[in-house]
Amino acid sequence: MESMASAAIFYGVAALVLGSALYVVVGRNLVHSAFALVAAFFGVAVFYVYLGADFLAGAQVLIYVGGILTLLLFGVMLTNRIYNLNLRSGAIQVVPGALSAGLVFALLVWIIQSVDWGAMDAGDPGPTSESIGRLLVGDYLLPFEIASVLLLIALMGAAMLVRRRGSRS
Amino acid sequence: MSDAVQSLSRFLPELILMGALAVVIVADLFTQRRPLKSSTDLLNGIALVGLLGALVTSWQALGAGEAQPLFASMLADDGLLGVFRPIFCLTSIVVLLLGMRSKELEGVRLGEMLALLLTVTAALMWMAGSVNLVMIYLSLETVSVASYLMVGYLSSDRLSNEASLKYILFGAVSTGAMLFGLSLLYGMTGTLDLYGVRAALAEGAFGPGLLFVLILIAAGIGFKIAAAPFHFWCPDVYTGAPTPVTAFLSVGPKAAGFAVLIRFFYLGMAEPAGGGAIAPVGGADWQMLLMMLAVITMTLGNVAALLQTNVKRLLAYSSIAHAGTMLMAACVLSVDGVQAIAAYLAIYLFMNLGAFAVVILAHRVTGSFEIDSYAGFWKRSPLLTVAMGIFLFSLMGIPPFAGFLAKWYVFAAVINAGLGWLAVIGVLNAAVAAFYYVKVLRVMVIDQETGPTPALAFSRLDLALLVVLVVPNVLGLLFWGSLDRVTEVSQTLLELG
Repeated sequence: MESMASAAIFYGVAALVLGSALYVVVGRNLVHSAFALVAAFFGVAVFYVYLGADFLAGAQVLIYVGGILTLLLFGVMLTNRIYNLNLRSGAIQVVPGALSAGLVFALLVWIIQSVDWGAMDAGDPGPTSESIGRLLVGDYLLPFEIASVLLLIALMGAAMLVRRRGSRS
Repeated sequence: MSDAVQSLSRFLPELILMGALAVVIVADLFTQRRPLKSSTDLLNGIALVGLLGALVTSWQALGAGEAQPLFASMLADDGLLGVFRPIFCLTSIVVLLLGMRSKELEGVRLGEMLALLLTVTAALMWMAGSVNLVMIYLSLETVSVASYLMVGYLSSDRLSNEASLKYILFGAVSTGAMLFGLSLLYGMTGTLDLYGVRAALAEGAFGPGLLFVLILIAAGIGFKIAAAPFHFWCPDVYTGAPTPVTAFLSVGPKAAGFAVLIRFFYLGMAEPAGGGAIAPVGGADWQMLLMMLAVITMTLGNVAALLQTNVKRLLAYSSIAHAGTMLMAACVLSVDGVQAIAAYLAIYLFMNLGAFAVVILAHRVTGSFEIDSYAGFWKRSPLLTVAMGIFLFSLMGIPPFAGFLAKWYVFAAVINAGLGWLAVIGVLNAAVAAFYYVKVLRVMVIDQETGPTPALAFSRLDLALLVVLVVPNVLGLLFWGSLDRVTEVSQTLLELG
């Protein structure tokens, strides 16, 4: 009974993620698309909960739903003429696009079915944040530091790009 | 923790670059109000000192000490990393000097550009050293983000913006594909460590699923080395980017892409089979995949280059063709191929950056990148024409220039591996390539100029730069000794694990 409910919630959330992600791509209103993205990101956070990744689920909500999307919405709303912007999306090459997407989908399904993923039942995974913290300052110290370098130049680049156009010295 | 501290002593070039990065950022902040010239000179000086320090330390580290894993097996400090470090440092030094002479970057504050250059140089080293899937992705992404920003540096220039946007879109798709491939690979093998991946693959056959994963990962690497069919960004980005950045993209990320390619396929997808040879594991025929990529890349690059009228576009397609030639060497499945790629890149660095140096110096006078604008250059500046001739003949692979040596290494490795048909296609391609390189020279020497012809004047820096770039091309055969040092240490690739 419990697994039935669990499966029902899973497929419900999966449908939500797929539907809203599809709307992000084909939607013609940028603000609506941004809100659809909220739903998609939130659904992914639910998947993380299903996988026992509690820290990732929290981070997903805090960073993607809370931070990035709010910024995105601000960006969209502060932009001029956002409502009468004519978004051209999905109008070109529908048939070849659908064909290649279908082909990739079939290929992925076949591969996911045919490969032995070595899956195991992990039981109750318990909280993960402590071991993630230990790994970040232990084995994964270097990637952690390099991520900070990546963020530094991304920050610098963002500042560089928003500087007034054509401002020379 | 002690492992991390011990690793630091083998991490000196990267540490110097990061130190220089910090100094450049702070110095840039404090010189905002100073006149442009003096602040630019100061920042260029700091960055140059940092890069020279990294070059010296990486040259000293070359071949010194045993190969060993760093930072809990995130990086491998072995011959391969040793060979690539000086290549990256030299590229960045030449690009920095080119930036000082480029008309496009005149009157622009260079603080961020120099910070990006230092970061990307260190990130290229991380790419070349990565033996962990997380590190491969993270370092590749750092290089990509820095490259997008460098390409779009001229925010007032429409072409530069367009190039940056195209680069980001293609980059996002191909790194996305690669990341998906890496995650599937992790799912199959249950480990992120390349040696662990190899061990897991050796135990079972994964067949078509693994091949699909490899195609996804090859898309990410192919994007970095500009191999067909992942090359579509290349001509537009090369044309739109500031020319010193173009010069950098044509050598730095390409070299690092090959380092990742070698590490991923030779270490992760194959096991040593004795005598320096390797045998693929996991039941996916990636040798065939690489051979197909090599043939398509070479042929497409050379044929498309024939049609170009813009010299930056021509060099873009020529760089695609060179990537194809190096991919041939990657199909060899023994350390001979690694050796050939390392030697090729060391020489390619000088010939390609040389060609771009001439393009930048000519642009100062002509203000154009069209090949037609080079008409009559022989009379205006014999020096520049001769230098361009040397670089182009070297790119063609004509003896006695160093480019011949590079091609010779590759073809010898390919033929020794019994891939004669591949070598034949390579030779045919080299013949096609001669057409478009000679076309540029023909315009410079034979065509008559129309309109006014301002005289060409060179600064001391220009002359020094040309000498530094020409000498290795002309005396390539004399540099055999140091080249041998480069290739010998690349043989130690398979030592670890």
